[in-house]
Amino acid sequence: MTTGWRYILGLLTLVAATMWLAVLYFPDKRLHLIACDVGQGDAILVVYGNTQILVDGGPNNSVLECLERFMPFWDREIELVVLTHPQTDHFTGLIEVFRRYKVEKILANSIDSGSSAYQVLKTEIEGNRASVINPEKGMVISVGLMQLDILHPTEQYILSSVEGPRDNKQQNVLGAYTTKRDPNVFSIVAILSLGEFDALLTGDIGPEISDEIAEQLVVRLPLTIEYIKIPHHGSKNGISNNLLDASHPEIAVISAGRNNRYGHPHQEVIKLLRDKEIKIMRTDEMGDVEIITDGSEWWLPEDK
Amino acid sequence: MSKYLLWLLLILLVLFRQISTRPVYNDGDRVRITTRVSSEPVRYEYSQRLSQEGLIIYLPKYPEITYGDTIIIEGVVDLPAGRQGELKNPVLIEKDESVSLLYRLRSRLLKVYQENLSGEHAALVSGVTLGSKGDISTEFWDKLKVTGTAHVVVASGFNVALVANFLINALIIFFPRRKAVFLAISGIWFYSILSGFDAPIVRAAIMGTIAFSAVALGRLSYAWRGLFLSVFLMLIVRPDWFSDLGFILSFVATASLMLFERRIYKRVGFLPKIVREDFSTSLAAQIGVAPILFVSFGQFNLLSPIINALILWTIAPMTIIGMVGGIIGLFIPFFGRLILFVTYPLTSWFITIVQLFGQS
Repeated sequence: MTTGWRYILGLLTLVAATMWLAVLYFPDKRLHLIACDVGQGDAILVVYGNTQILVDGGPNNSVLECLERFMPFWDREIELVVLTHPQTDHFTGLIEVFRRYKVEKILANSIDSGSSAYQVLKTEIEGNRASVINPEKGMVISVGLMQLDILHPTEQYILSSVEGPRDNKQQNVLGAYTTKRDPNVFSIVAILSLGEFDALLTGDIGPEISDEIAEQLVVRLPLTIEYIKIPHHGSKNGISNNLLDASHPEIAVISAGRNNRYGHPHQEVIKLLRDKEIKIMRTDEMGDVEIITDGSEWWLPEDK
Repeated sequence: MSKYLLWLLLILLVLFRQISTRPVYNDGDRVRITTRVSSEPVRYEYSQRLSQEGLIIYLPKYPEITYGDTIIIEGVVDLPAGRQGELKNPVLIEKDESVSLLYRLRSRLLKVYQENLSGEHAALVSGVTLGSKGDISTEFWDKLKVTGTAHVVVASGFNVALVANFLINALIIFFPRRKAVFLAISGIWFYSILSGFDAPIVRAAIMGTIAFSAVALGRLSYAWRGLFLSVFLMLIVRPDWFSDLGFILSFVATASLMLFERRIYKRVGFLPKIVREDFSTSLAAQIGVAPILFVSFGQFNLLSPIINALILWTIAPMTIIGMVGGIIGLFIPFFGRLILFVTYPLTSWFITIVQLFGQS
């Protein structure tokens, strides 16, 4: 066999191997909800077939490893990215995400951040040509068969606490307004649902907003929440008793860094969840926290 | 006599440059440095590390500085005894991205890899094709070091040899010998600038140039002479490389390759043919490099030649497919992506082996 033929044979073998790997990594028809282990921060990945939603990007590039683990290598597109609020532990990882993946839509508030990294992020989003959506309470966004109901914030809530000109109201832009308030209060809160399964994603909201969400949920009965992302990494300045009572979830997921300097999650929060017999899963103890659902039941990957 | 005179002159010149380029600043000086970034900064989780004008500079991760940028930085010089000086409290005053075609080509290619391959796979392909280690996660980098395989993903003489071989074999088909050699040498230098102009790359480029020109001029090439000549030339141009670990490792590895490779190869006839060459190459290089690695990192791996033998075969196809896919990807993104996907089995194998042996 001549060398030329040997090269061609080698190449064909490689192509075949690539195709086999591509088939092997073909996603199943279930929803995978993963709280990525990104250290002290949030990054939640939702995968349903070839459709992905990424909620926040964490404080560093670990989110890329999470995407690599849960997306097939040939899928280079994320359908929706949600940035709950512009704080570094939620958006820094998104910079590389926007550099590396084609993102269809980005859902984020119009609140700006003083951090220079946020300016880098805005440039990357522009370069990615992702369409920006400023969400508002009441909005419903469909991504494939999944649905995202926005519960917070309202437009008035943002406008009443920001500075800057607002007569010529700008829509669907990033960083239109600056504020002196803690960006946490503007966190996007949403219910992610597929069929009967509902997950409450809460960003970094504090007790005040938690109570307000609780009021909204009570009205929306017979809605049942199965999954809650505990707000603010399990800080005591996060979840409220009312919100847990109103949502009575089966599983609570906390995204926090190992031995983080804030002492998250706080003992009170853990105790509150234990008393209500809610299953607790923590990224600081277990790494990536993945749950799987078919739209009616949910289970952990090791269960089936 | 005149033969030795040339070498003596070179050594004197090296010494002169070592003394004359001592930095002009003192401990505690507040300085403003305007400089062109001469090699790819090392990126950490929250910071990036530059080494400019003999000083180590840590800057916040964003905005990122890349090889080829011109930057203005202010800070306070800290010169601890026995270690490399550092610029404390550095403030980035200005950053001008390079407009030069070559640097732009490099960053465009890296972007093509990042857009089409996932995390570690993209980092690996960027590393072997362009010697860019900026993308490799700290975790994976540690595993590469533990397994003694870091040399393939950083800019190394191996990449240059690969490119040189590829070029000369391709060019000799279309051009007469002398012209082919000339074009190949230009290609090597083009590649060495493209891949970050790190010390090992430059060493290999100079040695390659000497060896190739000897061929073109019909003269015998003496590898040892080429090695020493390149070392002296490099130290004359860049006296600060004297203490650059990459430079020292590259020099020692090459020397120990030339000393031991053939001898080892003859004695390992029991190994299967596909891995025999890779095994003896890595073992030969390890003989010289291991003590230095042990002193500077406190580690070296006895299994390293075996691990290298398991993965080295993937590098040549990975580099070539990566290069071709990257360049096509600049013009026709869709085809570039399809070609780059073909590296996936190779990078997967490489990563799996390194993960397996790198557990500590």
